[in-house]
Amino acid sequence: MVPLSQARAHALPSQRSRMIHVQGLTKTYRGRAVVDGISFEAGRGEIVGFLGPNGAGKSTTMRILSGFLLPTAGKVEIAGHDVVEQSLAARRHVGYMPEDVPLYPEMRVEEYLRYRAGIKGVARDRLTAQVEATMERCGVAQVRRKLIGTLSKGYRQRIGLADALVHDPSILILDEPTNGLDPNQIRSVREIIRSLAGQHTVLLSTHILAEVEAVCERVIILDGGQIRATGDPATLARRLERGSRVTLEARGATEAVLRKIQGVTKITSDALADDWTRFHLDVQGTEDPRETIFRTASREQWTLRHLSMEPATLEEIFAGLTAPQPQ
Amino acid sequence: MEMARRFLILLQRELAAFFLSPMAYFVLAMVMGLNGVAFRFATALMDGRIQPHSLVSLTFNSFWFRMIFFFLFPLLTMRLFAEERKMGTFETLMTAPVRVSEVVLSKYLACLIFYCALWVPGLGNFLLFRMVTGSSTAFPDGALLASALLLLLLGAFNIALGTLASALSRNQIVAAVAGGTLVLMHFFLGFLAGFAKVSASVLERVTYFSSLDHINLFAQGLIDSRPVIYYLSATAFLLILTHQAIEHRRGGI
Repeated sequence: MVPLSQARAHALPSQRSRMIHVQGLTKTYRGRAVVDGISFEAGRGEIVGFLGPNGAGKSTTMRILSGFLLPTAGKVEIAGHDVVEQSLAARRHVGYMPEDVPLYPEMRVEEYLRYRAGIKGVARDRLTAQVEATMERCGVAQVRRKLIGTLSKGYRQRIGLADALVHDPSILILDEPTNGLDPNQIRSVREIIRSLAGQHTVLLSTHILAEVEAVCERVIILDGGQIRATGDPATLARRLERGSRVTLEARGATEAVLRKIQGVTKITSDALADDWTRFHLDVQGTEDPRETIFRTASREQWTLRHLSMEPATLEEIFAGLTAPQPQ
Repeated sequence: MEMARRFLILLQRELAAFFLSPMAYFVLAMVMGLNGVAFRFATALMDGRIQPHSLVSLTFNSFWFRMIFFFLFPLLTMRLFAEERKMGTFETLMTAPVRVSEVVLSKYLACLIFYCALWVPGLGNFLLFRMVTGSSTAFPDGALLASALLLLLLGAFNIALGTLASALSRNQIVAAVAGGTLVLMHFFLGFLAGFAKVSASVLERVTYFSSLDHINLFAQGLIDSRPVIYYLSATAFLLILTHQAIEHRRGGI
């Protein structure tokens, strides 16, 4: 494992102007640092993902960036405006969707979006067109007359997204935008987010590794209020690859033969009753090793009664990131 | 211009939140009911007897009228901030480019407007009475006008008290109990002074804050400037406290 904490990629495409600038941001709560001196930047049109386990400080950072909370220390600039000194100006540039998408259940969809567009300062003569376009874009136009309280989670999430987008902000801050959605809904929300790239700077948080790979150009990994790594998802995924763990139960199998299978780094075995043995194999690489194991078993004429694989979990990845590095 | 528009949109939304909730009509019905009872009892007291008090005095000094006072303010104000905080919509509201002062004032003003609307049927009782009986001796116009003014002042003050309580908690029940207790304690100052053994100078000072004494005075048609100044300045102070409480929370979590 490469020590990644030093590898903070400050490098930004130079032609992009700086939309989010965070310097030494700290937020303490009752003496405990929830966010602990983080610094990062995001350029115009970039999609940046915040990845981290629950309690990593993602939501707190986003709440500060959106102007809901004040930082304890550090500097945050949104489109060149300080979030403390010029809070109103900074907030005008931000569309923010909090976690769990709070909405007024007694309002109708279109009524709610018109209200939100109004307080966000969308000019009166553009308001109708703007709300209309946003509803189309987020796929909520067909439920415009429905009470928000009666709509499904998928719709609520898209209304939240429409709310964040309705004043056409240059920066979007989305806290777990696909949380609690079914696979189809996740796909449609991700498509909307991807379609924003280029014109809008998007900062989104998630604890799903696949999500960052699917949408983000750049990832910032947060843990314990600190940045553990940044980089583009492909590189990061390769660096973070801890492989998978295969479990097999067989009769007649030997460690020596199993060790020859490509990618196997570590084997442990337990003797079970009736000559059965259970093996745990740590396998590196992204390939599924089970086919090879099966072929080996049939060639060697082992009796196989169990063969399964679990990919490394995000928790393991974070454990790997935060563990002391072996020299 | 932009600020005025934003404030009007916020106010409109807050008013809609009142008038579109079933709770509003439940409160309206209760206030009308209690007003009706207070009024009916007052007319009964006048029926065939010589009374040193006017119909207005008798109504607004009745037990039934005070009942309205006890439950009305907590019910009106408890949801203002507590509900938004509980539902999380406070986060979307405060991350829009709006000032804390605009949010506080829009919520407060919407509540005050709703409160005023609640009294229209109650004050209508008197006009109806005059129309039906054709008698102008039951109460002087000044008494009714001064009472209406005091109701507005009492509303302004107590709603500000409730707004502050609501801004301090995310639990509506806690907000209601805290707000209600403050309202009651203030309202009963006049009674407490009567029970406790206090010197005349303390009693005089307490009377200055006592809503009971104010009601008594204004219901006779006497507009005293001291309570007017007291309620207005206390209201402003409470609203500033509310503003500070919300600003303070941004520094927390």
